[in-house]
Amino acid sequence: MLYEEFNDFWDVARKRHIIFFYVGYFSQHVVAAISETIKARLDTAGAAGPTRRRIFSSFVEMSQNIMHYSSDTLTPGQEHTGQMRRGSFCIGMKDDSFFLLCANPVDSANVERIRQRLEPLHCMTMDEIKSAYKKALRDEAPSDSKGAGLGFLTMARDASEPLEFEFVQEAHAPDTTVFCIKAII
Amino acid sequence: MQALYLSATPTSPEVDFRFDQHILSIKGESYPENAAAFYTPLIAQVQTYLAACDSQQISVNVSLAYFNSSSTKMLFAFFDALNQAALAGNEVQLNWYHDEDDDTILEFGEELRDDFTALDFRAHAVSGQ
Repeated sequence: MLYEEFNDFWDVARKRHIIFFYVGYFSQHVVAAISETIKARLDTAGAAGPTRRRIFSSFVEMSQNIMHYSSDTLTPGQEHTGQMRRGSFCIGMKDDSFFLLCANPVDSANVERIRQRLEPLHCMTMDEIKSAYKKALRDEAPSDSKGAGLGFLTMARDASEPLEFEFVQEAHAPDTTVFCIKAII
Repeated sequence: MQALYLSATPTSPEVDFRFDQHILSIKGESYPENAAAFYTPLIAQVQTYLAACDSQQISVNVSLAYFNSSSTKMLFAFFDALNQAALAGNEVQLNWYHDEDDDTILEFGEELRDDFTALDFRAHAVSGQ
């Protein structure tokens, strides 16, 4: 019986060809531990070297985004280290590609700002993404960024198709919106 | 000037700055929680060191298998400081080691070469993992 409980759960993941799945709080230790698992898992999944690197890079950008920007936090927001924030992350396979899917709550007030960063990337060619990346590398980091303003551009550069994203308003908490992003590698 | 050594952690590289030998090396993977907090003190020490250099030959060895977006930004600032020192009359050789299959790291190296023209940039492809 106990094992059946697991199997029901695991069957869904297997049918969707999920090779890694995590829901919960992300800290730097969790990111490091998942990194170790993902590297080993991608080796056994037979991904080519450059594909593995792109998946790994996208995982780090997504998980650190959760750690820095999710609105559900266990740690005070103004601290710069030791952050723990909640989100979900999975890696799966569809046809011949890998996909990474990530979701975390954000303040509804920040939705437009995130949308304005992502929307322009959607219609850019890979050459345009690379030149936007080069420009951002040389620009001052945006004041609201804890990273470099390069995270989404890095994901877009590593993906083989435009990044997909969605905002879903939380039914019972209008101040909170779930931000989802998907990268196909 | 006293050497600076940090051992690698799962998410930050080994840093081995032997200022008295004029050899600065960074090796490993770089995705610390807060790249600015990790790199800002290192860059400050390097700037102090560089300010005292005059017509000095300096070797910089960078062998990073992976760095995240916020580390990229900090590395760019590090190389900018080295380039300034080269413009001021020092000879700075940048040995850029990258996996032969890794286009991303090679391309970033080429960005550095294009932007920081005073550096003697040398790309070294390394085979296998």
